[in-house]
Amino acid sequence: MSVETVESSTGPTPRKGISILFGLTLLGLLLFLWLLLGFATNSFWTPNNISNLLRQGAMTAILAVGQTFVIITAGIDLSVGAVVGFTSVIVAWLLAAGVPLWLALIATLAIGVLIGAFHAFGIVRMGLPPFIITLATLTSLRGIGLLITNGSTISITNEAFTNFSRADFLGVPSLFWMVIVVAVPAYVFLHLSRFGRYLFAVGSNSEAARLSGVNVNRTIYLAYILSSTCAAFVGLLLASRIGIGNATQAEGWELQAIASSVIGGTSLFGAVGSVHGPLLGAFILATINNGANLMNVNSFWQRIITGLLIIVIVYFDQLRRRGER
Amino acid sequence: MIGLQEVGHRHEQRTPAGHPVPKGEPILELYSLRKNYGAVEALKPATMTFLSGEVHAIVGENGAGKSTLIKLLTGVIARTSGDVLWCGEPVQLATPNEAISRGINAVHQEVVLCPHLSVAANMFLGDEMNRRGLMRKRAMTDAAQGVLDDLGFNLPAGAVLGSLTIGQQQLVATARAAMRGTQFLIFDEPTAYLTRQESEQLFRLIRRLQSEGVTIVYISHRLEEVFELADRVSVLRDGTHVGTRAIGETNEAELIALMINRTIEQIYHKEHFTAGETLVETRGLTGPGFADVSLTVRAGEIVGLYGLIGAGRSEFALGLYGRHRLSAGEVFWQGRKVEIDSERKAMELGIALAPESRRDQGLCLNLPIGLNINLPVFRKLTRGLTINRAEEAANADRQIRDLKIKTPSRRVLASAMSGGNQQKIVIGKWLSHGAKLFIFDEPTVGVDVGTKAEIYRLFARLLEKGAGIILISSYLPEVYELSDRLHVFRQGRLVGSHGYHTASHEEVLAQAIGA
Repeated sequence: MSVETVESSTGPTPRKGISILFGLTLLGLLLFLWLLLGFATNSFWTPNNISNLLRQGAMTAILAVGQTFVIITAGIDLSVGAVVGFTSVIVAWLLAAGVPLWLALIATLAIGVLIGAFHAFGIVRMGLPPFIITLATLTSLRGIGLLITNGSTISITNEAFTNFSRADFLGVPSLFWMVIVVAVPAYVFLHLSRFGRYLFAVGSNSEAARLSGVNVNRTIYLAYILSSTCAAFVGLLLASRIGIGNATQAEGWELQAIASSVIGGTSLFGAVGSVHGPLLGAFILATINNGANLMNVNSFWQRIITGLLIIVIVYFDQLRRRGER
Repeated sequence: MIGLQEVGHRHEQRTPAGHPVPKGEPILELYSLRKNYGAVEALKPATMTFLSGEVHAIVGENGAGKSTLIKLLTGVIARTSGDVLWCGEPVQLATPNEAISRGINAVHQEVVLCPHLSVAANMFLGDEMNRRGLMRKRAMTDAAQGVLDDLGFNLPAGAVLGSLTIGQQQLVATARAAMRGTQFLIFDEPTAYLTRQESEQLFRLIRRLQSEGVTIVYISHRLEEVFELADRVSVLRDGTHVGTRAIGETNEAELIALMINRTIEQIYHKEHFTAGETLVETRGLTGPGFADVSLTVRAGEIVGLYGLIGAGRSEFALGLYGRHRLSAGEVFWQGRKVEIDSERKAMELGIALAPESRRDQGLCLNLPIGLNINLPVFRKLTRGLTINRAEEAANADRQIRDLKIKTPSRRVLASAMSGGNQQKIVIGKWLSHGAKLFIFDEPTVGVDVGTKAEIYRLFARLLEKGAGIILISSYLPEVYELSDRLHVFRQGRLVGSHGYHTASHEEVLAQAIGA
């Protein structure tokens, strides 16, 4: 008798409709912020600032998409910021050693794959909680990166590589194009392929998924590998942008990524999430930072505002979910 | 013998406002109490009276509204309409705290205590003995041990709760409720997980509480317990209160007739088919929780596995399905020796499992019905890289229609469905995947009578198409009436096998409990 709940009275409640609505609310919030800043400052709607904003948000957005895959399986990846810093060192180091650019890029992404596989190994085979294993790699990777660089930074002299992040394509910063390059396949993967369905199923009830023939372990490997690979990709972008490899870069970006994902409607309990949500979340955060800078708000206040925003948005999301039951 | 209520302390404020109800007078009266979940009437207007100091049994099938009634009385859910009088005064019973503070308490079938704390800590949880802000652990352990010994429970108060059996935990939960100045104690199918000896200890406790003036509501499927304990019995059927009888003025036949309002033949739809080829044969199969199980299932027959909870039937099913590693024995599938080392392998051979617990094993509750139904078949629905969304939708809608799953849309979450509809989703998963051998583990627990009959008719359709079925149930009439062969499990072993109706209920039961 314990499973006795009864049909909801809400009539046809296509979940999809609600999730689109929520997406629109976020989009509305983003546009509202843009309008507001447009009125409040003279410099917001300048091409220069918009480009800057898109660049600022791009890297968090990519991290947030990868993070979302993991959170949907009811896990967490705390290592992404450290992976960004670490892989920026790796690519700089490889380039400094004279490795051809294409090989350096592939090798760096492969390192991302390996880190993700290691996380999944720890979770699946060693039975470690995701929080613990990714916390452990967070600190270890920073350490390894510092060992490699001996505590300093490695400059990147490859012009083709460093010019990439400053380039525009069709008037839009190339970094923002990279968001699209990641988001489109991510959308196909999460919402249109069976592996996406498996991520949700594992996050909802891994035992039920297993008994339905889903390879749960493989699904977990997939999620963590995708997250770390996205992080390695961001490591490349960051190295290109700042022109150095530095293991201490991207401090706290994992929290930015998690915050973007959660603002975008991802449930930390698993089985709820999308690709467009975290993207919007990331650009909302970027807009707040950007706007605060333009309005000369103390950067300490930015942190406080970001924290409050997370509470408010997630609280409203919770209300919405409760209403759905 | 110390009064139980004296052991607990500071409970004066919990008893009703100073005027105890004399024995035999109404302590709790329900007038047209009603509960709706949306359009579904879980409890139709019920008018009942509970008399102070009586043991009042409530019987009814799964889904009859017993759980709803308990939740209403304990303040877990709010009523839709109706009045409740407690000691003659109207009360809201809107929150669990309100119910507890009035002295209404329940012991649930599934223990809701803290498994990592000690027995004593659980018994005193929320009401710890303190001295200057520090807990008096020793004193609490001693007091708890005193209560347990006094009850003859033979349980260590210092042990960690989780290390006890579920039955023992239930006794602890009961002792806890007994200590807390409870005036009105509800037992929700308390003996489901208890051994015989534990049941007897529980009955002694119930009689003792009754002698101390506590009103007991006792909910059970087991009519023999009702006749042993109760003074009066009320029957619920499909959310309706269909009658209350004094125990001396009724008998089992009348209660059954009230509970189901139809004959056994009408419920247990059974068609006999000629058994075909052997689908699966196990020889000496051994794994975690079961040992040396040899049986065969042929096409067109239902093989029933009966036993008490924990007898190893579900473990055997999970072992056969590749969920657990087998340590010995062989499996032959259609005459060919096979190694089933993963769920995927079992599915590919043609085995489907509708597992015991819908909540823990069967469903992704916070995902849509459609996704749940399609979960085993996404591979088939994939074209190239992506899922064919039209086929995905059509497949889900077909199962929803064929199985008459009552939902406005395939996008509704599985958690919003009633037990019966949830079970249909689990079954729908496997109908869309297709299989030759269907294992149904407790398919009708928490399922309403109508759905039950539908499920049994579905069994017949599957058999007709040449499938075989393993039916696991703790409800003897179900396996007894439906099985072509009935195997009895006890402590992980197969201890008896019978043909259709070749043994009596008593014989089967005796084998299952080892009497």
